[in-house]
Amino acid sequence: MDSDQNERSLEDINTVLEYAKLELSDVKPTVQCIYFSQQLDNQSFKLLELDDTVLETLTNGEKVVIRGNTDDMAVLCTQTTTFEIKEAEISNSMLITPQLDIGEDVDDSGPQNTKVSKVISVMNNYYELRPCKPKVAKLKKLLEENMYSGKECEEDEQHQGLKYCFEDLLNIVQGSEVEIKESLKKLKACQIEGLWRVLDFDFLSQVLNHIIQLCEENDWLSTGIPLDECLETLGQLFPREVIAHVIDCYANEMKSGGQGDHDPDDQPMQIDAKFFSLSEDKICQFFAELVLKNSGKFNLKEFLKVWEQTVPQGMRTSLSQLEGIALIDRNCMPEVIWYFPVEDLPEDVGERFNTLFKTREKWSLAEISPYIRDLTTLKVDVGGLLTKYARASMMNGIKVFSSRKPVT
Amino acid sequence: MYFEINFFPRPDSPNQCPEWAIVDLQGSLETRQPVPLGGKFVGDLHFTKQNVPILIIGHHILYGKIVDMEKPFAVIVKDESSETATDRDTDKNTSVNYVVKALIKKKLLFKQRPKPIIANIPKKL
Repeated sequence: MDSDQNERSLEDINTVLEYAKLELSDVKPTVQCIYFSQQLDNQSFKLLELDDTVLETLTNGEKVVIRGNTDDMAVLCTQTTTFEIKEAEISNSMLITPQLDIGEDVDDSGPQNTKVSKVISVMNNYYELRPCKPKVAKLKKLLEENMYSGKECEEDEQHQGLKYCFEDLLNIVQGSEVEIKESLKKLKACQIEGLWRVLDFDFLSQVLNHIIQLCEENDWLSTGIPLDECLETLGQLFPREVIAHVIDCYANEMKSGGQGDHDPDDQPMQIDAKFFSLSEDKICQFFAELVLKNSGKFNLKEFLKVWEQTVPQGMRTSLSQLEGIALIDRNCMPEVIWYFPVEDLPEDVGERFNTLFKTREKWSLAEISPYIRDLTTLKVDVGGLLTKYARASMMNGIKVFSSRKPVT
Repeated sequence: MYFEINFFPRPDSPNQCPEWAIVDLQGSLETRQPVPLGGKFVGDLHFTKQNVPILIIGHHILYGKIVDMEKPFAVIVKDESSETATDRDTDKNTSVNYVVKALIKKKLLFKQRPKPIIANIPKKL
């Protein structure tokens, strides 16, 4: 390939060394003569700066994928993490030399000798990776295009929107598989006939109410819901996937098979049947949502009464169940409560704080935490977020947080 | 339009990915006349017994250091044989594979000002 490059003679090399006032004894005997390759090509490849996780993934032979739309920035995904890809340009010149020996690889003894090393490319840019969270809001929007209202409604006018399978979602939302799966779980999405759907609230209410009614009729609230029997009974009204999904969202699997409280020293029962116990918190939350969703500002006292009456017998309501779901204003007369779910708030941290401060000027730590907890990362916790985006002050003896800048 | 680029591990062994090096120079290299650089001599690279890299380019001597890169580079190349397109008209779901050709974990960084070499020293008698 580069056969016409002149081999530099040791004489030439040593003359230069002499002029440079370097002694042969100062340097190792191998001299690497660097040439540009005849096929010098600065476009032939790209340099990608690797994060530890990505390097490990590549070394383990696992898949690393880049996804992008023309309008969006490209992202790089391993199974579990998502990174934004940004191009960095530098003023330095990076000479890419595949066969260069470095430092310890160069023998420090032996006769003087030369080695040719070729620069195959000169680069002034590379791509860097910044970890980022996948765009859950985008996923939510996609799934809300065609919410599931029951088999009978699938062909009607309101249900002509697009429906997506997992592959589709991976490509459009641009996140890692694990993160997309977690987001789907957070959105309480359900896989129906291979497509991921979100249940519309009225339909969800129907299903849940049927399950609760069945529980009350059969005393399953104390013994646990036998999954198979429940699916069998309600399977005539609703797709089984939906029933199982709703049970999964609002109940917890019982480990020892339907005996209520169990002694952890007992051997687990060797039965395949699954039993679930309804989660008091999640069911109460659901009924709060049911009452508040279309109600605007509700008189707090009245709400609490209605709420308690609506939940299944034996379940206890508590204000702590409303964190991240509703806001209470104790400063007005009478005290009011209204529906304010964290899922409907902006994903972008700056915009989230702006919306929160627009809604209420000052927040206590207990009030604001449920509304920013989902924005925390490994590096930044609730306190960190507040330090960065809010201003602390004292009001009536308690610490409150308000906006750092004018609210838009 | 969506596109997907997949990295595939080296077919032989992911643990035997070649390691290349970078010579990192501040500024850019120029020739006196505007000629293509291909094939041209750049300079001599020496290492002192303490592994300090010394690069002599033209009439300049540059002292540098070996840097272990905090974040190594992957050299990625398009795998031409893998290019497929589901729909040539709309370019939807074009899938191209890239391959990691090498990793770069170390570089020789020359950021000190080059020192000029005076070429005409009278030879010792």
